[in-house]
Amino acid sequence: MKKPTRPGIDRRIRDVVIATGIGSVITQLLTIREFLCLLNGNELVIALILFNWLFIGALGTLLARPFGRRPSVRKLWAASIALIILAPVQLMSIRRMYELVFLSGSSVGFYPTLIYTFITTAPYALFIGFVLPYSLVVIRTRIPQYSGTRIYIFDNLGDVCGGALFSFVLIYFATPFQALAAGHLPLVAALFCLYRTAYPDTAWPVPVAGTLVALMTLAGAMILEMPSLAPRTGSLAFYQETPFGRLRVVQDREQTTLFQNGRPVFYSQSPGAAETTVHYPLAQIPDPDQILLISADRQMMQEALEHGVDGIDYVEIDPALTRVEHRFGLLFDHPAITEIHQDGRHYLRHTKKSYDAIILNLPEPDTFQINRFFTKEFFALAKARLTNDGVLSFSVKGYDSYISDRELEKVSVLYGTARSVFDHVLMIPGNRLFFVCAGVTLNPDIPVLLAKKSISTDYISGYYYGEIPFEKINDLKNQVQELLPCGTVNTDFSPHLVRILLDEWFSVFEASPAILVILLAAINILYLCYISKEEFVLYTTGGFTMGAEILVIFAFQIFFGYIYLQIGLIVTVFLAGLLPGALIVQHVKKLAKPVLIAGEIFLTGLMILFFIGITRFPEHLTSTSFLVFGFFVSLVCGAQFPAALYLSGSGKPAVIRLFSADLMGAALGTLVTSVFLIPYVGILWTVAVLVAMKLTSLMVLGWIR
Amino acid sequence: MKPVSRRHFIHTGALALAGSLLPGTLAFSAADHASAKTQADISGSIFKHTAPDQPWKWSRPADFAVPYSDKTLMCGICPHNCLLDKGDRGICRSRVNIDGILYTLAYGNACSVNIDPIEKKPLFHFKPASRAFSIAAAGCNFRCLNCQNWQISQVTPEATRFYELFPDQVVAAAVDKNAVAIAYTYSEAVTWFEYMIDTARRARKKNIANLWISNGYINPKPLSQLCTVLDAANINLKSFDDAIYKRLNGGRMAPVLDTFKTLHAKNIHFEMTTLVVPEYVDNPKMISHMCRWIIDHLGPDHPLHFLRFFPQYKLDRLPPTPVSLLTQFRQIAMDCGIRYVYVGNVPGHEGNHTWCHGCGKLLIERKGYFMAQNNINGDLCKFCGTRIPGVWG
Repeated sequence: MKKPTRPGIDRRIRDVVIATGIGSVITQLLTIREFLCLLNGNELVIALILFNWLFIGALGTLLARPFGRRPSVRKLWAASIALIILAPVQLMSIRRMYELVFLSGSSVGFYPTLIYTFITTAPYALFIGFVLPYSLVVIRTRIPQYSGTRIYIFDNLGDVCGGALFSFVLIYFATPFQALAAGHLPLVAALFCLYRTAYPDTAWPVPVAGTLVALMTLAGAMILEMPSLAPRTGSLAFYQETPFGRLRVVQDREQTTLFQNGRPVFYSQSPGAAETTVHYPLAQIPDPDQILLISADRQMMQEALEHGVDGIDYVEIDPALTRVEHRFGLLFDHPAITEIHQDGRHYLRHTKKSYDAIILNLPEPDTFQINRFFTKEFFALAKARLTNDGVLSFSVKGYDSYISDRELEKVSVLYGTARSVFDHVLMIPGNRLFFVCAGVTLNPDIPVLLAKKSISTDYISGYYYGEIPFEKINDLKNQVQELLPCGTVNTDFSPHLVRILLDEWFSVFEASPAILVILLAAINILYLCYISKEEFVLYTTGGFTMGAEILVIFAFQIFFGYIYLQIGLIVTVFLAGLLPGALIVQHVKKLAKPVLIAGEIFLTGLMILFFIGITRFPEHLTSTSFLVFGFFVSLVCGAQFPAALYLSGSGKPAVIRLFSADLMGAALGTLVTSVFLIPYVGILWTVAVLVAMKLTSLMVLGWIR
Repeated sequence: MKPVSRRHFIHTGALALAGSLLPGTLAFSAADHASAKTQADISGSIFKHTAPDQPWKWSRPADFAVPYSDKTLMCGICPHNCLLDKGDRGICRSRVNIDGILYTLAYGNACSVNIDPIEKKPLFHFKPASRAFSIAAAGCNFRCLNCQNWQISQVTPEATRFYELFPDQVVAAAVDKNAVAIAYTYSEAVTWFEYMIDTARRARKKNIANLWISNGYINPKPLSQLCTVLDAANINLKSFDDAIYKRLNGGRMAPVLDTFKTLHAKNIHFEMTTLVVPEYVDNPKMISHMCRWIIDHLGPDHPLHFLRFFPQYKLDRLPPTPVSLLTQFRQIAMDCGIRYVYVGNVPGHEGNHTWCHGCGKLLIERKGYFMAQNNINGDLCKFCGTRIPGVWG
């Protein structure tokens, strides 16, 4: 067969690599969001998804070696077309296969989550890992001296563009399958051009057929998008993707249920929840005037107005959510109610108002994002915005007849944290366990307090004494106080609650992460035994960079709260430095080893500076400082890749192995930092581990001749 | 380069198209039907080699052990009929084979102790407005995904904090608290049968009633024995579909229906509870079949409670039950002829109250667990003199 050669084919492959980067990042972000709507949205699940993605990608990279023996543009073209087709198939499979594998409406545990995320993402992640190094292999059949660094640079360029396109445009205007189609159109076009350039003598039908198949798959998925979201009972009355997640309204008979990221958050018939959330704190205040509700619904507002309050400030970060609440009668207009679309903590930090009550109606603090509202720092902030007799109230999942050891630990940490700020903390057990905190004495006899205010209730007046006898309140307090000497306080930088709730999640599903930890340790030890010193440097840099990224996301939300909108920016910044870093070093190859060493020292220094900044000078930190930190970390990471490649010989196997090392390290760094280090040992030790990792690789570098 | 023939193009194109569209379409349509067809059984299996080496203080040889082979015993307390080799633990987690003897590990170690209004069980036709001394030890033979008490039902007795309360002490505590009854509740008392029945025998002697709150998953022999000391029961009828029993609860329906028949035959007061879970237990036809079965086999007099579901435990991604569905089910049950049908977990619903099946007037008005008015004299309707089924004294 005549081997087609034509000038410019490298440019066509370059375009394909860039377009693949755009499509893959958008697919990755959509995959994470899709899983968060189906599975438990804690950090562990996010880390598992990223870990699977990076780990399988690393395996895919290794496949480029055996499959690279007889490389051809046609195979690259076919693999890339398959990638386009796999993207919507993957997303649809994640969404629809859940009910095939698991029971509808149920949550699943750790290992089912691991296996489900692994299997559903494996085909795409494997292909994406394969395509990048294979592109280089194909180019080198024509231009043997073509630099692996350039492919790395183009891939990063695509990633940055994809991240920016998704975070700043698509997330606001497109549904997942529309975003997927938009994100893959450049790849469809690039592949068509590549095929025509590589095989100009062949007939048009093959590239046209490939293009059509890819486009039809993307279009077909868009058509199936709405039916794929339909509930099994009732009808889908509303659906919207917002930067904060997925909103769905399901109408089942007269009941309207608002689902946020797959979980029912508000429903039209919940008097018990509304009464307990609002009256437990407001009953304590004889004449409340101004109150702040962080997340609420119509029934809670109505109950609050029963107390004759003059003003209700309702804080909800997602304006789309309140619009939906209004549209479906879950919220109503009232002169006393002011809606504020901000992060609750951000709002409290900046408001000058004082409140008689601050009432949180939030999910479990099992993520860093929600944990920020259950820390000593937040309680102190809330206290500063309360009047002298004001109360703060929040709740977590409760219990019926028995409180488990883990739940008791959770409650005792919360109680201890609240008591470190407030003189009086009243715990009211029940289906949800309420904490009412104040500087004045609190009365647990809620029905009597409400009777004094002539407020009638359905739930509290009928069930309170039967469900919550005073013995139960006292028993809980006694049990909690026995644990208090342990003295664990939940803080911004030591989020113990996240760790406890992670343990609780494991206990609900009777699972232990031990098998995964052992498996990961074995794989990594085995891997480390076979890699070169240069690979080890990139392995640790991959881990360090992802660890740093998670630290920045974690710290950013503590300081600024606006994580949902900024997460795209942070991810983009952590990619943006790779490109200039690689470009700079491409021209100083002879200084490869000094560049690697300087990179290690620089990363270590950056991390120490980061720690000093967030712990010693938090008030001077702006959002830009976090972004600058992220940019420099990725700059060094980007610079180290070509340097390591140069030292490794720049051959095809070296490129593939270095790509794998980077991905393997990144996979492990993601999982270890977010799941084990931050929740279990806190920020200080996380920083220490990351610094130690870099110092180890610095020592290893010393042995490279 | 060989030119592509039309045939080649059509073949390749068709295959590629099919290959690209099929997985998505199949994933989509398969999932549509899958959940209806999936016959998963979540009952699980016995726990191999997890029994303690020695019985502990709160053990005693279990009743209804059947030798199966040299090494193996069959636990005959419930229809799981677990076959346990030495060192094995039953599905319920509280019955173990230690050196060839079947032991219960839950005897005298109540992990949950409360005084509850009797209406909380729920028992609406048994000594209303009285209080029940309620106890539970760890263990359950079901795996309900919406379990309210999973902290004690889905763990071993060794893993809980507990009070040392042997049967005599339970009865003494009940007397001390002026409770009219002892309720064996929260977890599944069948799994700590020996503890329950020994306590119940002692309670009888002190004129304290015994209340069994259960899933009804018990074998006929132990049930007959239990009936000799039982005063009232509330048994869950979790659905009327064996497949749903297996998928949501990890049990079978037939033994539960047998339990109802036995209790009815032995003339023990019992009430039935059905939790109406959206997507699973929300089919009016199924409820209609269920009610007809009740009428045919148990008669019209046993009260039936439909409870509203709220997201709980592992079943936390479903919405609560629409109230009108509960109202509809209540109407279906009454149309079938069941005289006393209640709606629970919905404050203020007319199904919270007792209405005379003779004259239709309000007999007991309930506000939560409180009785706002009671128009029953002895066991007769104050207005028309109709005898109201139940134990009212």
